[in-house]
Amino acid sequence: MRKILAIARKEFSGCFHSWLGVLVAVLFFLISGIFFVILVLSYAKISMNPQQYGLSNFSGINQTQFIFGSFFTNLSILLLFLVPILTMRSFAEERRQETLELLFTYPLSDFEIVAGKQLGILGFFGALLLPLSGYLGVFGWLGGEFDWGPVLLGFLGFGFLGAAYLAAGVFISSLTKNPILSALGAFSILLVFWIFDWVKDIASGLWARVFSELSPLAHYRNFTLGILDVQDLVYFGFFFFYFLSLTLRSIETRNWKN
Amino acid sequence: MNNSDPATLIKFEKVSKRYRNFQALREVSFEVKEGEIVGFLGPNGAGKTTAMRILAGFFPPTSGRVFVGDVDMSKHPHQAKQVIGYLPETVSLYPDMRAIEYLRFVAKLKGVPAHELKGHVRGKMSFCGLIEVGHCLIGRLSKGYRQRVGLAQALIGDPSVLVLDEPTTGLDPTQIKEIRDLVRALGQNRAVILSTHILPEASMLCNRVMMIHQGEILASGTVDELAACLKNREAIHVTIKDRKDKDLALRLLKSIPGVEDLKAAEDVKGETFLSFETSGAARAEDLRPRIAKLFVEHGISIMEVQKLNRTLEDIFLTLLKEGKLGRRSS
Repeated sequence: MRKILAIARKEFSGCFHSWLGVLVAVLFFLISGIFFVILVLSYAKISMNPQQYGLSNFSGINQTQFIFGSFFTNLSILLLFLVPILTMRSFAEERRQETLELLFTYPLSDFEIVAGKQLGILGFFGALLLPLSGYLGVFGWLGGEFDWGPVLLGFLGFGFLGAAYLAAGVFISSLTKNPILSALGAFSILLVFWIFDWVKDIASGLWARVFSELSPLAHYRNFTLGILDVQDLVYFGFFFFYFLSLTLRSIETRNWKN
Repeated sequence: MNNSDPATLIKFEKVSKRYRNFQALREVSFEVKEGEIVGFLGPNGAGKTTAMRILAGFFPPTSGRVFVGDVDMSKHPHQAKQVIGYLPETVSLYPDMRAIEYLRFVAKLKGVPAHELKGHVRGKMSFCGLIEVGHCLIGRLSKGYRQRVGLAQALIGDPSVLVLDEPTTGLDPTQIKEIRDLVRALGQNRAVILSTHILPEASMLCNRVMMIHQGEILASGTVDELAACLKNREAIHVTIKDRKDKDLALRLLKSIPGVEDLKAAEDVKGETFLSFETSGAARAEDLRPRIAKLFVEHGISIMEVQKLNRTLEDIFLTLLKEGKLGRRSS
């Protein structure tokens, strides 16, 4: 465990060592902040005059749902760009710099290496999430009201979605020694998962069902609506550990590649 | 360790490694004992790095077994890696970490207990002369210092087996000397394997050299031993002035018993180089005066007759030409 933590810590602080990590954090706050402000302002505008927007009366819209529901949906799109950038360095960079060679010769299991890296990157993602709670503070301070349940669940869901995506991104990163290729690959695979969510709307019958079960966004949406379903937890757990095991497998195959 | 025979720390048993369509190692077997510094010698692509990577646990061999101490590498890689320090050919370290930070990271990965960690890392840093650059980013260090960080990294955890892949490449002469001194000091109570393609380095540093070519060990033994098996051979170069005398000269040389491996080459001006090796009876006398006399008698003008001393380099090249010379182990 100590070794996993050592790698995780190195990975975590590595994110801050590079200008890229700092830039990503700054951009993430900036963009998510803009999303949030726009949503609050547009809610304010609509709530002044609901009829104009085709709503019979003010009580027809839910403040929490309107602001935070949309906020979390927007964040999930941001994740499509954030995750490939965060994960592109994890293994690809080590392969490029050939630092992985030494790591493999230390008394470490492959699992410790993969788990450490995954944990470090999750830590950085978690650190990005923490300041988001500041939005709640500002919102409450301005006199906004919201239901704690759906908001907290939304954060939880966003954490799960992010963790799942990061696992996929780390796996892609373990396949190549080119960070750019890794980022592109991760972006593509996340895009495919994103498209699942559309396909489920177009498809019918069994296919609609299959795609809605496979779509991470469909499961994520439940969280943002304030629904905690075991199925969604299982889905994200499976997603995360599936890609984690794929990463392990891809690291092990170095034995007959090279 | 004790006063009886030093323990065998490294043992390769018929180790082969095959990449997709390239046989990098063919049934290599050898042993290294405590207190020995063994040099792997060989041209690029001979299989030195492959053998070292297998020993370091970077990848397993295609067949054969590797023992580190009593531990079978394939069965307990963890235990085996615990006692091995490895310096790869290209010392690639994390450029955005500080040297001290990196070495502490390595110490944690190698399982150095937390309460000893700082002192341990400091000890290795001072041994490798890194104290004053400990807080520099590795990426900003010079090649020589990076090499030392690499060496310090290998030493962390006090491994009983050191595997150093070309530890002196790319360093300036002073640095090379320093690294050599460090290696010599380290070899006292460990088993050290180092690879190099600088032959004098091997003869200076190693108790024993193993010559590797095309994945096989051509010869193994001390430098003296290897030289001894070539004692009765020497090379003579003759330069004659006129190219039209070449055939005659070759015929004359062939008539001397013990002359082998006769070769001729011309240069633009018409000067012709003849080179050959002598063995057996011909070795007893110095052939040079005899050749000179013979040539003069036949009216061939000689520019130069030269006898070449055998260096490790020649031994190696001869071995390459002749193939296996029979293994010798000390």
